[in-house]
Amino acid sequence: MSERAKQRAKVTFEGVSKSFDQRGGILDVLEDIDLTVADGEFVCLLGPSGCGKSTLLNIVGGFERPTAGRVTIDGVEVEGPDARRVFVFQEYGIFPWASAWDNIALGLRHLPRSEREEIVQRTIDMVGLSGFESAYPMELSGGMKQRVEVARALAVSPDVIYMDEPFGALDSLTRLTMRSEIIRIWQQERNTILFVTHDVDESIQIADRIVVFTPRPGRVAEIVEVGLEHPRDLGSPEYGEIKNRLYELLGVRHVI
Amino acid sequence: MSAWAPLFAVVGALTFLFTRRTSDRARAVTYPIGVTLFGLAGWQLACELVRAEVFPTPFDVLAASAELIESQRLWGDIVASLYRVTWGFFLAAGVGIPLGLVVGWSTRSFLAFNPVIQGLRPVSPIAWIPIAILWFGIGDLAGIFLIFLSSFFPITVGTMAAVRNISLVHQRSAMNFGLKGIEVFRRVVLPAALPQIITSLRIALGVAWLVIVAAEMVGMDSGLGYLINDARNMGSRYDLVVATMVVIGLIGIVLDMMIRKLERFDEVRWGYVER
Repeated sequence: MSERAKQRAKVTFEGVSKSFDQRGGILDVLEDIDLTVADGEFVCLLGPSGCGKSTLLNIVGGFERPTAGRVTIDGVEVEGPDARRVFVFQEYGIFPWASAWDNIALGLRHLPRSEREEIVQRTIDMVGLSGFESAYPMELSGGMKQRVEVARALAVSPDVIYMDEPFGALDSLTRLTMRSEIIRIWQQERNTILFVTHDVDESIQIADRIVVFTPRPGRVAEIVEVGLEHPRDLGSPEYGEIKNRLYELLGVRHVI
Repeated sequence: MSAWAPLFAVVGALTFLFTRRTSDRARAVTYPIGVTLFGLAGWQLACELVRAEVFPTPFDVLAASAELIESQRLWGDIVASLYRVTWGFFLAAGVGIPLGLVVGWSTRSFLAFNPVIQGLRPVSPIAWIPIAILWFGIGDLAGIFLIFLSSFFPITVGTMAAVRNISLVHQRSAMNFGLKGIEVFRRVVLPAALPQIITSLRIALGVAWLVIVAAEMVGMDSGLGYLINDARNMGSRYDLVVATMVVIGLIGIVLDMMIRKLERFDEVRWGYVER
């Protein structure tokens, strides 16, 4: 376990399994996941598609219940969605019928107006959306929509953020920008982040630790410590080593 | 044989010819005019070929239109038809939209009400005419009731379907940010369903305008449908019949244009662009 993970545990998975009833049998998606994520840690869940990593995120996010085992946050079992822990969705989860401003203000409904406006404006500036406050999602590019989505989550100062391949639909350049942005914001805010991806490079660029999953049923194959300082040198030998190790774990090293 | 049919055709052809290099916007006006002129040519020609006595030519209809406008009667009938459609339509929207939202959102009420709604929906509003007259007599109330029925089902079913199609991601966003009860409806269910609700309103208004004419022909003593029946009964005035049909068509276009304005609001535009 890493130095950071030995610090205060934030999210704990204990023997989490999930299966779905299907025509013609039971589909085991996740098998006996044990994992502890420390407070303020940035953890990537990496694995081939269909390995159940998104399902695990849906379980910790409270949208699905595990078939066996339990998930706790700050020692309390997760039983449903919670406004203190926010999901950033794979597809666009922001509301197309509301302006960028109104989308970002979604989680701040109960605050007094002046406070709400201050937080929304600060978040908009933080994600680089200044000037687009009144734009509707259909008027924004894919990258900007995803910024609204991230801003909507950040605005409520969540202690945990779940990201389900949040940059999967973006072009590769925008994806790079968004990665460095998310690192910049995370270094500032220090939320705990669980980030699902199937992109090996993405995981090495952003994560403290990478949890590698086996193909279905998903089990933890290995947890890889990244241990590189941000900003990371993508040409360094350490980077290459980690990358090779990940490819090996994913069973695709011989292909490349 | 007169020169009218060839004249219409030639003017129609010239309309296409002279405007074919203009902007799309201009052609959106001139091309339909060209098509209409060809239609008039065909109509005029057919009348002359069969030497129709009763069936009117385009010019008979033009004259009849002038007669209708002068007679003052037309306005009263237009008002009568629009009055019934307006009341029936707004009542149907007032009941159908909330009902569709609730039945679409709650699985329990969907299970209970959906089969009933689907069972009543295929019954043509025209089939209700005898019952409408039995309950409300000849007059506005029967008309309003029939329009209510013919708008209610498209609106309710459209709203229901819209709510049931709300994307899982948006539902989960609502849950994640702690939206509850009436807030979910106000911030997610209603806005998410609104584009499709507007489409169902448009369909409903179209159906209502079709049904009112039929209803007035059978069970009322005013309105555009009654005017058609009356024109035929008072000495086979088919010129007046066709002139009234033209009026019905024009009003139908105006109604549709009015309701389509709803599609332009920022809150619903996302529902009509390609996604």
